[in-house]
Amino acid sequence: MQNVRVFFEKTGITKYISHLDLMRCMTRAIKRAAIPAWYTEGFNPHLFITFALPLTLGVESLCESMDIRLTEEMSFEEVKDRLNENLPDGIRITKVAEPIYKANDIAFAEYKITFYTRKNEKIKNEIEDKLSCDELLAEKMGKQGKRKVLKTINLREFVNSYNVISLNDKAVLTVVLTAGSKNNINPNLFVDALKLGDDVDFCDIIKQKMLTADFKNFE
Amino acid sequence: MLSKKQESLLQKVQKPARYIGGEVNSVVKDKSKIKFRYAFCFPDNYEIGMSHLGMKILYSLVNEREDAWCERVFAPWVDMEEEMRKNNVPLFALESGDSLSEFDMIGFTLQYELSYTNILNMLDLGGVPIKSKDRKNLTPLVVAGGPCACNPEPIADFIDLFMLGEGEEVTNELIDLLEKHKEMGSDKYEFLCEAAKIQGVYVPSLYDVSYNADGTVKNIANKATAPKRVKKRIIGDLNKVYYPDKFVVPFIDVVHDRAVCEIFRGCIRGCRFCQAGFIYRPIREKNYGTANRQAKRLCDSTGYDEISLCSLSTSDYTGIDKLIPEMFSWALKENINVSLPSLRVDNFSDELMDELKKIRRSGLTFAPEAGTQRLRDAINKNVTEEEVISTCEKAFVGGWTAVKLYFMMGLPTETLDDIAGIAELAQKVVDLYYSNPGKPKGKGVTVSISVASFVPKPHTPFQWEPQDTMDMLVEKQKHLLSSVHSKKIQVSWHQSPTSFLEGVLARGDRKICDVIYSAWKKGCKFDSWDEFFDFDKWMEAFDECGVNPSFYANRKREYDEILPWDHLDYGIRKDFLIDENKKAHMSVTTPNCRQKCAACGAAKLNGGKCDAKR
Repeated sequence: MQNVRVFFEKTGITKYISHLDLMRCMTRAIKRAAIPAWYTEGFNPHLFITFALPLTLGVESLCESMDIRLTEEMSFEEVKDRLNENLPDGIRITKVAEPIYKANDIAFAEYKITFYTRKNEKIKNEIEDKLSCDELLAEKMGKQGKRKVLKTINLREFVNSYNVISLNDKAVLTVVLTAGSKNNINPNLFVDALKLGDDVDFCDIIKQKMLTADFKNFE
Repeated sequence: MLSKKQESLLQKVQKPARYIGGEVNSVVKDKSKIKFRYAFCFPDNYEIGMSHLGMKILYSLVNEREDAWCERVFAPWVDMEEEMRKNNVPLFALESGDSLSEFDMIGFTLQYELSYTNILNMLDLGGVPIKSKDRKNLTPLVVAGGPCACNPEPIADFIDLFMLGEGEEVTNELIDLLEKHKEMGSDKYEFLCEAAKIQGVYVPSLYDVSYNADGTVKNIANKATAPKRVKKRIIGDLNKVYYPDKFVVPFIDVVHDRAVCEIFRGCIRGCRFCQAGFIYRPIREKNYGTANRQAKRLCDSTGYDEISLCSLSTSDYTGIDKLIPEMFSWALKENINVSLPSLRVDNFSDELMDELKKIRRSGLTFAPEAGTQRLRDAINKNVTEEEVISTCEKAFVGGWTAVKLYFMMGLPTETLDDIAGIAELAQKVVDLYYSNPGKPKGKGVTVSISVASFVPKPHTPFQWEPQDTMDMLVEKQKHLLSSVHSKKIQVSWHQSPTSFLEGVLARGDRKICDVIYSAWKKGCKFDSWDEFFDFDKWMEAFDECGVNPSFYANRKREYDEILPWDHLDYGIRKDFLIDENKKAHMSVTTPNCRQKCAACGAAKLNGGKCDAKR
């Protein structure tokens, strides 16, 4: 049995597919592709599949990954090709490899956030102003014991680095946010906290990289 | 493909994946190479609509054609509808993102009466005039089919033509004809007159309906080329008819999210309350080799881990003993679960039970339908209490701990004793469980009884019967609850106002069209959803249109009354239905079609062939 890590992109309309739906979609693709994947043994066997980190609904990604186990030998190239033949448009396998890190090693994620706006300079300056402060407050549902409560958190603490540029009709923010199983910052929450108002028509968010604590690409 | 504008709405709604299309096996064609565009509409949300086998069949069937492109359209959920109306985004098809008004033919499937207001809402959202007479052009032509087309009068004002019976052949014939008339530049009336010549096509505007002073139908007069009676279509040989080898595989979790293998059409049972048991006659089986092959192919192309057999009464399939082991031989290897719905109590064999033990153990479901033998005889549900008990006994010995029993209340000739009989039967099942010495330790039994309200339907022996009033049903529900004495028995039932409206729409005539229009104007939609069903608005609509709903639901009809659907021929002789009705009132059963042919008349639809006759 071999552990295999499958890296993939989730772009276009497939960003509207939730994490649970993505799992089902992958399970079926693996079945259609006749990949010799391992099933759990138990009363209710199911295909073994684990994702490094769930992706927020509505966010595109170039760097998703999932682990499966092969029960028979199959080349990484073949796994990749077979899966790509059986996946819907927008989900594309980029690489199949042996896992190097553990999913727990993920510490950061880099997002590219494009704000479509005619006031691109103004928005750029606004973002820089807001991120140069020590506080960027956001409200989030959290748990206090078993109860669910609305908590205010300071997102600025979770912004590792950032860079904003202004282009023709947009402002593009590249930001590295804390990610991982302990603390995972939802980029939509971050965008909402910036409170950029009606000057922004809409924004696109793409996850570009998943990084370890020492800023190496998650592989 | 969605436009930027359409996509911008998705950020604001729940379950955006309902609206994105792009699923595996969905069909996208090059518009410039297509002559005919068909929008197949299911008048409910995506999750419900995607479970529908008929849509899967017809979607693939039309898309086999090079000249035509069939797309799917569902009713958007209320949050999406609000955004669409606010932003002037018309209802669009999932494959192309094009709005409904751009299609040549818009087809609705009529699966249940409470979806009618959604049809109006979808047309309106799609920018298509709701009434047939307001759509002056040939296209978009609005058509409909499905079980409720057996009495389509309540929506006759909105639909240009109905297809009665099975759609595989008539859909293609209609597309050919409409394509031809589009090229010729015919007007809508010319086309409809030609369409009315196709067997199974009912053009309501070619029939004049007149009424007596008491509100009953006086006469139904055919005009121009329309036949006096429209005969439904059936497929003669299920082994030769088209069956898709691919299903669209949804991203989100939908109802019945699995591969489906149809094994036969029609039913031998003749339960007198069951519309499906009459309108799908005569029985025609697919042979088990074909079924097995189709099932395997579907699993391969979809990646589903579950397949179910589909038919009215699965254990009546003559090939079941051969089909199940054959399916298991590949399904178990590939971790595919085989599920068998609607198994009847009376022919649940030991061998079948052993096979079933191999697969996942879910609850057992039986439908005795009525609580006493007398009433079961009246409705011709040929199941005895001994059979229910002996089957449950086998099931308990086999390790099952949950049993679901389906019943109805409000059946013709029913008394409170029959209602109490439901609770008594459930109690016997509970007692049986505890009398089994080998029962699993520390595990109790759950007996769920689900009680639906009976709604008399057209083309059944009960089409003349008065439906119980809402008050009567509430009283019976109370009586049932007071008759249940065990915590092991869980009772659930239907809301009586919903059943009442269903009853009106099921046996309504053309006067109901205005009521539906008015109810929709008041905001009625998704009527089959408890959270949206607004009975008061419906009652206002009846009031404003001067229509008394009880006339349709609670009135007993005489045998010689002209019924609003009498001009629609489903192959069943009216004399036969009258005989069955009389026998019901005498609690006399009719043997099933394999035991003895009851000469219902349906076989003549298939050149005298019926698979129940040996």
